[in-house]
Amino acid sequence: MNRLVQRLGWPGTIALGVVLVIVLVAVFAPWVAPYPQQGVGAPNVAAKLSSPSAQYWLGTDHLGRDMLSRIIYGTRVSLTNGVLIVTFSLLIGLPVGLAAGYFGGWIDEALMRGTDIFLAFPALLLAVLMAAALGPGFLNSIIAVSVTWWPWYARLARSEVLVLRGQPYVEAARLAGVSHARIIARHILPATARPLTVQAALDVGPALLTAAALSFLGLGVLPPTADWGQMVDAGRKFFPARWWYSAMPGLAIFIVALAFSVLGDALRDRKGGASRGAA
Amino acid sequence: MNRRHFLQTAALAALASATTSRWNLAMAEGNGSIFTLAYPTSFPDLDPATSFSNDGAVLANVYEGLTRYIPATETTEAKIEPLLATSWDVSEDGKTWTFHLRDGVKFHDGSPLTSEAVKGSIERTKKIGGGAAFIWGSVSSIETPDPLTVVFKLSDPQPVDLIASAGFAAWIYAPSSHDKDNAWFNTGNDAGTGPFRISRYEPGQRAVLDRAEAYWGKVPEGGFQTISFEIIEDTTLAQNMIESGQADWTESIPFENLEAMKSNPDLRVVVNPSFETLFGLYNVKRAPLDKVKVRQALSLAFPYDDVISAGTMGLGTRAKGVVPAGIWGHDAEAPIPQTDLKAAAALLAEEGVEPGLELVMTYSTTQALSAVAGELWKANLETLGIKLTLQPMAWEAQWQLGKSNPEAAQDIFVMFWWPTFVTPYDYLVSLFHSEEKPNFNLGYYSDPEVDAKIDEAAKLSGTDRPRAEKLFIEAQRKVIEDAAAVFMLDRPNVHIIRSDIKGYTDNPAYGHVTFVNELSR
Amino acid sequence: MELARYILRRMVLSAFVVLGVTFLVFIVAQVVPSDPASLYAGPRPTAEQIEKARQELHLDAPLIERFAGFAKAMATGDFGVSYKSRRLIAEDLRAYLPATLELAVFSTGLALLIGIPLGVLAAARQGKWPDRLGSLSSIAAVAMPTFFLAMILQLIFAQWLGFLPLSGRLSREISITAPLQMVTGFNLFDALLAGRLDAFGDAFRHLILPALTLASYPAGVAMRLTRSAMIEILERRHVTAARALGLSEPRILFSHALPNAMGPALTVIGLSFAYALTGAVLVEIIFAWPGLGRYVSEAILAKDFPVIAAVTMVVTICYVVMNLFIDIAQALVDPRVALS
Repeated sequence: MNRLVQRLGWPGTIALGVVLVIVLVAVFAPWVAPYPQQGVGAPNVAAKLSSPSAQYWLGTDHLGRDMLSRIIYGTRVSLTNGVLIVTFSLLIGLPVGLAAGYFGGWIDEALMRGTDIFLAFPALLLAVLMAAALGPGFLNSIIAVSVTWWPWYARLARSEVLVLRGQPYVEAARLAGVSHARIIARHILPATARPLTVQAALDVGPALLTAAALSFLGLGVLPPTADWGQMVDAGRKFFPARWWYSAMPGLAIFIVALAFSVLGDALRDRKGGASRGAA
Repeated sequence: MNRRHFLQTAALAALASATTSRWNLAMAEGNGSIFTLAYPTSFPDLDPATSFSNDGAVLANVYEGLTRYIPATETTEAKIEPLLATSWDVSEDGKTWTFHLRDGVKFHDGSPLTSEAVKGSIERTKKIGGGAAFIWGSVSSIETPDPLTVVFKLSDPQPVDLIASAGFAAWIYAPSSHDKDNAWFNTGNDAGTGPFRISRYEPGQRAVLDRAEAYWGKVPEGGFQTISFEIIEDTTLAQNMIESGQADWTESIPFENLEAMKSNPDLRVVVNPSFETLFGLYNVKRAPLDKVKVRQALSLAFPYDDVISAGTMGLGTRAKGVVPAGIWGHDAEAPIPQTDLKAAAALLAEEGVEPGLELVMTYSTTQALSAVAGELWKANLETLGIKLTLQPMAWEAQWQLGKSNPEAAQDIFVMFWWPTFVTPYDYLVSLFHSEEKPNFNLGYYSDPEVDAKIDEAAKLSGTDRPRAEKLFIEAQRKVIEDAAAVFMLDRPNVHIIRSDIKGYTDNPAYGHVTFVNELSR
Repeated sequence: MELARYILRRMVLSAFVVLGVTFLVFIVAQVVPSDPASLYAGPRPTAEQIEKARQELHLDAPLIERFAGFAKAMATGDFGVSYKSRRLIAEDLRAYLPATLELAVFSTGLALLIGIPLGVLAAARQGKWPDRLGSLSSIAAVAMPTFFLAMILQLIFAQWLGFLPLSGRLSREISITAPLQMVTGFNLFDALLAGRLDAFGDAFRHLILPALTLASYPAGVAMRLTRSAMIEILERRHVTAARALGLSEPRILFSHALPNAMGPALTVIGLSFAYALTGAVLVEIIFAWPGLGRYVSEAILAKDFPVIAAVTMVVTICYVVMNLFIDIAQALVDPRVALS
């Protein structure tokens, strides 16, 4: 514990704790939620739009469902959104960056100019454009955000590879006639993957924020799955008279994103990396 | 600053203060002269030939048709009122309609209303062929035997008195505008006979209408001089405006906020049935929905009362089949199902439907009420072992999917319907008459008996309305018996007006239209 | 020489990027699972009306031909008509683009105005409570969902305290009784041009909340960048020398250290501008701001593709041009940029 605090500082340690708690809540949602049925979507019309009370700690929504249970189930969507977005982006960005950096020349030029086009869009606008084209849905919204996300990893991977390529042992392997595939698999990939994975982990917060913005715009998961961005939007109709409907899920997004970015900040202070914002 | 610029600025300032003083004058008269509507949507098309959207709210105060529909109430029957026409008659075969025009009516440009003007208007509307122009589809020629008589010749019998009362595409406009294009109208020009004319139009912001001089109709004492349509998309803001008296009329306030407004003595919450009905068409071409009993089971599992209470705060009404109350042909005694999960389970067992059945319901993303209906229905179906997937889509995409291949399309198509002109025919022929290529019959229902009844009733609509009504009701009962659709609810029309406004009535035949001429403060 | 080559290269790349963006937008348009003709034909079209619309929109033309038409339209700025409203898109853009730009410029200014002084303060009080509080709030600004912040600001300043307007760009009183003549489309400018102080004040009050929402994140970044730039410089030799000469601390901060913070400021301008253009989609909906963001979000719901394409193109071009300027400016401030 002491070593952890030493490494991350107090804010970082608390943030790590919060992230762990959220992950646990997501995994054990059916046991944690007071009304698991309502968390999944079962309506409870008799209690619609009740204010926070002993029975419903955070109030209920327009179908009478317990907000706390909905928010607890919402952690699942939110976290998977964040994790899948960075994973998909890594899966596209890493190979592109590797190829560009390793082979150089016209391959590099072609790949990186292509990447530039994606970076030229304001990120949220491209995500919205993609999501509109694909239609609402859990996977669709993740794909839409990933499309705007991977170019950063392509750039990062390329710059890492450029450093590695000049290393004597890589030069030596190449002169010894080792195949490209083998060099990449043996020497380049492992060394590149590590910093990229760290960066990706730090990006989970911004990624889930962007996904929340999409679902706020009605381009996220399908009902009745609980989703924070969608809940904030649904509650807007009743705001401010029934403030809890929008405020509780909004607060949830803020807390999770804050935990991730404080943690990221704490890690970055040691490592040195780029920070990035989302909508 | 050079001299010219200075002069320009001075002129602008003078102009600004001139408009200010006019406004102040109106204010000084006790705010009596301006009627302000906080309107939730913009007005995409102000051309009376092609308008087919919320712009009707503006145009209905500027233009008039030959007749007007007055819906049935609990004490009175539905009727058609004279407007620009004072009387009309129909030939025995229902194919020739003669309208006698009101004498002394003038368009806003000063020209008189003549039979030529009527002919020219309807011909322009038909020729452009946009919006709701199809309502004139059966009119093969229009004759003008004298300046105040118009004769419509039809290819098949149609109720032209009803068509002429339509909320869109039935407006008569001045001959001087018949060669104008869509853009001319959409810069804020008008050519109507109505009580108001458009004096300022700022797309997406507002439309300001001023009283037209020499209006033929009656103007109540203390009637309004000016109407201001303020486009306010934000419901919170619209609510602020009506509560503070900045607006006199608004709608689309969330149902949940109405309680508080009802107890406010300054406001009147007017709830009326609308002609909009929400339903889900079952895809009868796909197993197991091709079986009547399975469809009946699904309809029995629909939580009618819960949807009305959760979706509309109890303001909506049970749909009695597809034709809503207030329209002739409405069937108050229709044998509609009540929510009964046990009976539903029994029917499913009878047909051997195993748990694990998966169904897809599509609806338009913009319709929150459909989402509520879907979520509640889904919960009920889950207890029967049926998994309902809710698929919100842009309307065009939903429709596109529905029109494609029935075998691969949705299982349940949820939509609203409202009539282009007030006739049960519009609902029944569009939604349940056999179609070679699906257009709006998106459950692909096809029954020769129903088809025959609808066709026969359509022929009689103009000449023998009571008989037609009976046939329409019979067709509808068969549709209900076959469970071709689940009839979810009739949407309520909720309008909020300041309580000092006199003379307000809501006419659901003209959805979301306020006839300001009849109002006073 | 190096500088000129750098600038030329950046310009060529920008042109290439814009071409690529055009292509990408077109491709996305092709996968939209919707029927533009039925949208164009109105709310309840007959089969004939749809067929007519299909011909009017040339939807049956081959793909290549349609791309050529699309690229030409985008290049000439003739974006055609909206499927939904049938209004000329170029005309709508003329009204909405200035509104969005006004918001973007204003929020960028606000971000610098808040972020840089706080950064200087944090650097001067390094490690003390202003520094800690500053860095905490800058992290919070990153984690705060824009749409949620907007709602909170509305709740506090418009609903509870009631001293700022809830939404919109001008009060109805002003736009009805004495409308502003649209010259530049920037309300603040137009009000000054017309000598209308009432309208100026009103427009200004309407700008504050949406601009504050958009400024929170870039202000946080500005603060952090300024802080680290200042700390680095404060430790440099000429500052140490100035201290030794007995110059007062504020004097050192503002006359010696701050000018060196130009680089971070430029970065923040670029970032903030981009953020405002993007965030406009969310913020304009909530504040009923009649700009591109609200325009495009309505178009997205209706799948009104010509509008979506036009807005995406215009915003992206603004973004690319802005980035180009920032890069060039940075190269001018610090020639090392051009060489790397």
